[in-house]
Amino acid sequence: MKMKLGDDLHEVKIIARRPHLVVSIDGRHHTIDDPGRECDGPGTLVLDGAAVSFARVSSGGSVLLHLDGRAIAVEVIDPLDEAEGSGHGRDEILAPMPGAVVQVHKAAGAAVTRGEAVLTIESMKLQTTLVAPRAGTLLAVLKGAGDTFEKDEVVARLAPVEGDQ
Amino acid sequence: MSPSLATSRAAPQPAIRRVLIANRGEIAVRIQRTLRQMGVETVAIFHRVDADAPHVTGADHAIALAGDTAVAAHLDGPQIIAAARATGADAIHPGYGFLSENAGFARQVAEAGLTFIGPDAQTIALMGDKISARQFAEAHGVPVAPSVMPTGDLDAFAAEAGRIGFPLLIKASAGGGGKGMSIVREAGGLREAARLAASEAQRYFGDGRVYAETYVERPRHIEVQVFGDGLGGAIHLFERECSVQRRFQKIIEEAPAARLPAALRAEICEAAVRLAAAARYRNAGTVEFILGADGRFFFLEMNTRLQVEHPVTEMITGLDLVRMQLEIAGGAPLPAQADIVARGHAIECRICAEAPDRGFLPATGAVRHLHAPHGPGIRFENALREGQKVTADFDPMLAKLVVDGGDRAAAIERTIAALRDLALLGVETNVDYLARVLAHPAFRAGDLHTAFVSEHAESLSPQPLADDALDRTLIAAVLGQRIFRALVADVPEPQASMGGWRN
Repeated sequence: MKMKLGDDLHEVKIIARRPHLVVSIDGRHHTIDDPGRECDGPGTLVLDGAAVSFARVSSGGSVLLHLDGRAIAVEVIDPLDEAEGSGHGRDEILAPMPGAVVQVHKAAGAAVTRGEAVLTIESMKLQTTLVAPRAGTLLAVLKGAGDTFEKDEVVARLAPVEGDQ
Repeated sequence: MSPSLATSRAAPQPAIRRVLIANRGEIAVRIQRTLRQMGVETVAIFHRVDADAPHVTGADHAIALAGDTAVAAHLDGPQIIAAARATGADAIHPGYGFLSENAGFARQVAEAGLTFIGPDAQTIALMGDKISARQFAEAHGVPVAPSVMPTGDLDAFAAEAGRIGFPLLIKASAGGGGKGMSIVREAGGLREAARLAASEAQRYFGDGRVYAETYVERPRHIEVQVFGDGLGGAIHLFERECSVQRRFQKIIEEAPAARLPAALRAEICEAAVRLAAAARYRNAGTVEFILGADGRFFFLEMNTRLQVEHPVTEMITGLDLVRMQLEIAGGAPLPAQADIVARGHAIECRICAEAPDRGFLPATGAVRHLHAPHGPGIRFENALREGQKVTADFDPMLAKLVVDGGDRAAAIERTIAALRDLALLGVETNVDYLARVLAHPAFRAGDLHTAFVSEHAESLSPQPLADDALDRTLIAAVLGQRIFRALVADVPEPQASMGGWRN
């Protein structure tokens, strides 16, 4: 996944998943012995054998962190492209921020191409189009016009591609 | 409800039993805390946007105010006085801001038969006018910056201005925005500078009159906490230094002032007491001075209320200033000056919703996560709650972090540690910036003046993260992303294991 801190873009790549998660950031490898909890709030993870305590809040496309005695905002860039790059087609379309559905472009069962509009949503008075992360068939569109959702909520699902799972 | 004979005889107890606090936010909560300890009932006032705010939920009684905005409601004196009467309050504490320095309000409170916890209306009016306050100070032997009044005769003006001494600031009488202003450092340049200033003033303002006053280079802002009994008795609780400012507002205050010679400290404190006594000042007030690098100090203004930064004085004196305010308002005598003793060093940081790296512009958002620092010698004055929106409706100050230590160096270290411990997420704040100011060599050295922030702007800008800190940050961020977690988890076992084995 690509993340932006200030003006600088960084990439977090998964190098290995077991027995421990190993990631590479700009070419530097780190072992995550314990990833901690996923939810917002105070947390601890174990990184390269050392505990790292922090507080974390997700806010729109950003993650706000308090870590090492500083407050830092990290911008999360286009996770769908990252999913594509990892070699696994993603099956889910997630809401990037809380909001409401303005328009449904594709219904369940419809075929979509990568980048094709599935839903138009409105968050904080801004309209955004949620697109298919890959070509495939829509298994379900879980939200209708006017429905609200939370950040990271699954709003639509693609049928799994044969042989991928 | 009429007081029993027994309670009315209890002289040391203030006669005040129920106080309406005409404020909101941290100061309303802080005043409530002392009143509760004193067994005095509290009445909160609030606009509907504050219905579940801590100053409302923490009060014994609360009364809603009508108003288009919360600020308008808190400036509605007649409505607030009506609320005090309706709730049976016998006194009003104005806090700071809003109506705290409004002479008309103080008069109306008194006319309604209520006690205004502060000076009388006449004193507020005297000190509220810069010119009358300056003249009053000068008449009572309190130094004011020497100046030469406007004249049309340039030669006479130059001769008179030269007698004040240099450097001098030449200003246009009708001026503003720096037009017609210049700094003159020696007698030789005076006449020419005055002529240029006069012609510039004539061009810009159609009025060529100029005046001159002593120019204080690298001025420090030193203020003295005073209390008066309203009868001509006055004491001081030492000074505070408030030189670190941005956009003409204080962000770090400390007591005592850094590197202030004892004799000069005494001189400044005595001048403040002289002013308060001459004004027959009642209750708490602050006399502000500017102090030049040459040791000369001049009266700036008097604030006729409790200051935002009063806790640093409380920390070094061990006194509760709100308690003293209540006692004096209730007719108790002033403590003896000899009994007021200062120990250690205290620092206050104003935690503001703002962007230090973008000209300290106010920031908005919401309090999504709050971890307040705590421990011995640490006060975190606030009225924050998680989920609370931070809008542009109020002052950007969110909270105050007040820390003491055995000496200045210890107080600085403890403040930096507390700032690093303080986590406030969801709105941009100046917390990290404040820590950088405190850690700055010039701050540690006590080399302070009111242009500290702009002078050191470059060395106070944030340093880029080192690689290891950067990686910790990105990993903590990415692990909060559901999509990333899914990428980590959603793969079949054989692929997941590949390359992942370690010995």
